[in-house]
Amino acid sequence: MVQDKTPDIRLEALTIGYGKTAVVSDIDATLPGGKISVILGGSGCGKSTLLKHILMLQPALAGRILIGEHDLNTLDRRGMHCLRQRMGVLFQDGALLGSLSLGDNVALPLREHTRLDEKTIRERVLAKLALVGLDEFHDYYPNELSGGMRKRAGLARGMVMDPPLLFCDEPTSGLDPVTAAELDQLLLELKRSFDMTMVVVSHDLDSMRTIADHVLVLGDGRVLFDGKREELEATTDEYLRRFLDRQAAVRTSPRLTMPALDFKVMKRDCSKYLGEG
Amino acid sequence: MIHGRRAQLSPIAHLGEAALRFVGDTGAMFLFLLEAGARIFSSLGQFRKMVRQTYFIGVKSLSVITLIGLFTGMVIGLQMHYALAKFGAEGFLGAAVALSLVRELGPVLTAIMITGRAGSSMTAEIGVMRISEQVDALRVMDINPIGYLVSPKLAASIICFPILTAFFDLVGMAGGYLTGVLLLGGNGGTYTYRIQAYMKMSDVSGGFIKSLVFAVVVCTVCCFMGYYTHTRRDAVGPEAVSQATTAGVVTSCILILLSDYILTSLLF
Repeated sequence: MVQDKTPDIRLEALTIGYGKTAVVSDIDATLPGGKISVILGGSGCGKSTLLKHILMLQPALAGRILIGEHDLNTLDRRGMHCLRQRMGVLFQDGALLGSLSLGDNVALPLREHTRLDEKTIRERVLAKLALVGLDEFHDYYPNELSGGMRKRAGLARGMVMDPPLLFCDEPTSGLDPVTAAELDQLLLELKRSFDMTMVVVSHDLDSMRTIADHVLVLGDGRVLFDGKREELEATTDEYLRRFLDRQAAVRTSPRLTMPALDFKVMKRDCSKYLGEG
Repeated sequence: MIHGRRAQLSPIAHLGEAALRFVGDTGAMFLFLLEAGARIFSSLGQFRKMVRQTYFIGVKSLSVITLIGLFTGMVIGLQMHYALAKFGAEGFLGAAVALSLVRELGPVLTAIMITGRAGSSMTAEIGVMRISEQVDALRVMDINPIGYLVSPKLAASIICFPILTAFFDLVGMAGGYLTGVLLLGGNGGTYTYRIQAYMKMSDVSGGFIKSLVFAVVVCTVCCFMGYYTHTRRDAVGPEAVSQATTAGVVTSCILILLSDYILTSLLF
């Protein structure tokens, strides 16, 4: 179904949201094939919502999404099945099935969609787990793994069908800087080795600077930037500069102008423990 | 004036909204059941999941069914003995115990017990999977979540409910024997003979038909509540799972009793 090895993803006059409420309107952008595109933006700006629309988990409110030549609005059921089988997805917390071992989680798409025998499936599963450094944890259950390991396992599951399209939702969120950097390197390695189109949703600037070829910045219910990473780094737009330089907006918080809470109003007298006495 | 009119219409509007939601939910639940039923035999892998669910719903419910069945039979034995003794008809105790168990109490109490034990965990399991994106993960892997999660449970329920009901009936009759014969000194031979003499095949088949209907009702309602946890209006996240679980159990119990009345009037 996906004829191109590394298809572009085109968003045309796309409006995304929940129910009748639009979160981001009039998105016109192309996420180029064979590159890593990072969808960047602050919390709640609609990054993950956009990803859900691209993954066909939610219908678009208006406009269309094209993967290669295929319009997701007009795709028939068979086309949708074929396309989904050629997509790999890493969810925010891995979204591994809790009742299955790591090996069974990774093997799931192979068991459901291929005619491979169990021996071959096991070999492929171990190879993908080795790719993310988890081959020794084949028989572990998701609740026995750390957050970083669960994400890597989710990545192994997303990669097991050798998809030309890989989508990652906040791959480095909640990880320590070293583990986050390792995951970034892993994504770069995967792109180099497998030549795929990757779309990464993130608000991690370090991660964006490491992996992105192309960046789409969302904010204020619209697209703020669509272009190469180098162009984004050189931008003079005030909001984008503040975002990239991690500068807080200047505002007087009403909370800060209030006097501090008097310990005497506390129901329990803790003054002798924390200095008031 | 307009404001007052709106306030006057408000309860009617609420009633209308509730009625529309009820009709919508009923239709959605029916389509959910059809899809789950159609995917029971969709692949060989379903069989393995079905066996696992049969173990969970059936084997693991045996102890609670034994316990409840035994005490139910004992209580009926006790009460019936005193009631029948007033007419000098203690000899009919076996028939009275067996008929009330097989036709009514066996299927209903078994279904309610399984709802509490397995139905609640079906809702909670699917609900947690829904809020932790596992259901979305199945969809993007092109695995139908209803086929993967619900169909094996539906098949296992259809297998387990009648078997557990039969087990409940047997244990209940033994409980009745325990009180009526061993404790209160009734005649053991008369007890078993009356069961044989007064029990008809239609009583047994009616009980089984009820248990099959209850299996479909309980599994559909509990799985449906879990599957749509994320669309609940009253709560979000883990609280939504707990609300969905409560709603699943309560709705199942109400529907069991409602369908029991309808089936009793149709079958017997």
